[in-house]
Amino acid sequence: MRLAEYEAKEILKGYGIPIPVGAVIRSPGELEVRLGDFGDEIVLKAQVPVGGRGKAGGILVVRRDEAISRAADLFEREIRGFPVKEILAEERLAIGKEYYLSIAVDRSSRQPLVLFAGAGGVEIEVVAREQPDAVRRITVSPLLAEIPPFALRDLLGDLAKDLAPVANRLFRVFLEKDAILAEINPLVTTPKGIFAADAKIIVDESALARQKLPRGRAQSDREREAEAHGFSYVDLDGDIGVIGNGAGLTMATIDLIALYGGKAANFLDVGGGADRERVKHAVQLVAGLSSVKVIVLNILGGITRCDEVARGILDAGISQKVMVRLAGVNENEGRALLAGKGYTMYETMDETVLAAVEAIR
Amino acid sequence: MIYADRSTGVIVTGATGNQGKFHIPLMNAYARQVGGRGIVAGVTPGKGGQESAGVPVYNSIRDALKEHDAGAAVVFVPAGAAMDSVMECAYAGIGLIVAITEQIPVHDTMKAIEYARLQGSVVIGPNSPGLLSPGECKLGIIPAQLATRGNVGVVSRSGTLTYEVIHELTRAGIGQSTVVGLGGDPVIGQTFTDVLRLFEDDPETEAAVLIGEVGGSLEEEGAASTDLPLVAYVAGVTAPPEKRMGHAGAIIEGGEGDARSKIRRLDDMGIAVAERPGEIPDLIRGYL
Repeated sequence: MRLAEYEAKEILKGYGIPIPVGAVIRSPGELEVRLGDFGDEIVLKAQVPVGGRGKAGGILVVRRDEAISRAADLFEREIRGFPVKEILAEERLAIGKEYYLSIAVDRSSRQPLVLFAGAGGVEIEVVAREQPDAVRRITVSPLLAEIPPFALRDLLGDLAKDLAPVANRLFRVFLEKDAILAEINPLVTTPKGIFAADAKIIVDESALARQKLPRGRAQSDREREAEAHGFSYVDLDGDIGVIGNGAGLTMATIDLIALYGGKAANFLDVGGGADRERVKHAVQLVAGLSSVKVIVLNILGGITRCDEVARGILDAGISQKVMVRLAGVNENEGRALLAGKGYTMYETMDETVLAAVEAIR
Repeated sequence: MIYADRSTGVIVTGATGNQGKFHIPLMNAYARQVGGRGIVAGVTPGKGGQESAGVPVYNSIRDALKEHDAGAAVVFVPAGAAMDSVMECAYAGIGLIVAITEQIPVHDTMKAIEYARLQGSVVIGPNSPGLLSPGECKLGIIPAQLATRGNVGVVSRSGTLTYEVIHELTRAGIGQSTVVGLGGDPVIGQTFTDVLRLFEDDPETEAAVLIGEVGGSLEEEGAASTDLPLVAYVAGVTAPPEKRMGHAGAIIEGGEGDARSKIRRLDDMGIAVAERPGEIPDLIRGYL
């Protein structure tokens, strides 16, 4: 889960990494009260959970006398599809040099990966593509509590003396906050010292409980409802409802719909061992989407029993057509329960999906 | 077959929980059917001396190993303690550790996998359905009735999608040497590279099916590391970016790990990529 910039900066501050003077405002009036805190020029930064907001007009540098009206304008805007509900107002730093510094979970090495680049403020993916030599990288054993000095020298070169403390503080943030990414971009030099001018922290979803963070902030109401039932759920924009058991199988079902020329309305994985009640909720949830004209239910029973699934479908009592594929444990019992009740049943996922796509045409 | 065979004795950790109680009998029924040793002991701290699903339970791996000979462990311990259990297994010298548990914090996983590696143990998972060598052994939760013995290795990041593929292979009369579920998490112990190398050296395996999904680049790395004839399938062509598609690891982040670019890279290596799971049997038949 991605934290807002101001939350990430508060964390950095707590670990001794300097951040600009700033305040979060939720209305132009809140800025008025704090107007004297930032100096003659103020940076207004829309707190939207998306990259590239600078280019999209989400970061403004304004004079103090125009700050309130410019903030009011920014509150009216949408940045890359996200309404601006919070703005971080900050002092404008007198920036000398800009650097990039991040620590991420690296899937390939299965270790924390520290990246440093002498050019900051731009997207690191772009730098890595265009000037691969400009990005330095080291991996750190996950059994170490800090980045060893030799690795910091490798990473930072001549800058090690100035930047090593920041790198190790960020490493502690990464470890202690269960981050999958902790990024400072840019890390800047100013006459007053080094500052994190922007920060991004993504917290591991599997660690939200021990980090005492609420789940699902960036979710739609439906995504939240689905999660409350224990489903993995994502809204999509088509008209074929999809329910599967297992993430891979459900993804493959959605892909197959597209391959046959249809469009899925959602991704819903009921999870392993779903019983009658869970299946009922899943079917009702998907049937409740106004866009859904037909539902594909693709179950390959291992821990999940096909007869339980069939009972859940019957309990749901919905009006849309359901194309059912039940294979695996108790498939015959499941099919027998649904026989003669108006459900169409298929042997394979190919047949099921094809029938659904054709039903809509 | 790779990793284990019917002579491998297996310990289940988290043996007295619901998952353990449900799956120990299934694994042991399979062991009886194929003449294997199966689950020889269970471990749950504080429950030593009890029995769970017909196997004796011990307080620790060490205690269990005093009474039983075991070369592998299957971990069903809940997320908060699962990686501790992996480390306990590694410390006690268990060579193969299969972690079924899901939703483990990724920092815990990184530590435990590194620790196990230093102890000389191999970890499959976490968030894995386990390992199945038809006719030999079952370590985990892969439904054995869908599989049949043969010469195709199957390696996957998924659970039920793997079952789908072995179901289709079996229906097409194509048997499997070993089926390995790597796990759906971003950080996993064994990767495509590790498993494909073992398949390459396995006299029983003639070709392999690689089942990937969005997120990371382990599919491409694995495919590039082997000369074994391969058929690949990658799920999530229509997955939107920055959305977690069920598995913790199935997410396109920072513009990386999308299915189309994975498929393109596999294609560039000359690997047959199936457009849909149903195509896999016909494609793999060409290599047998």
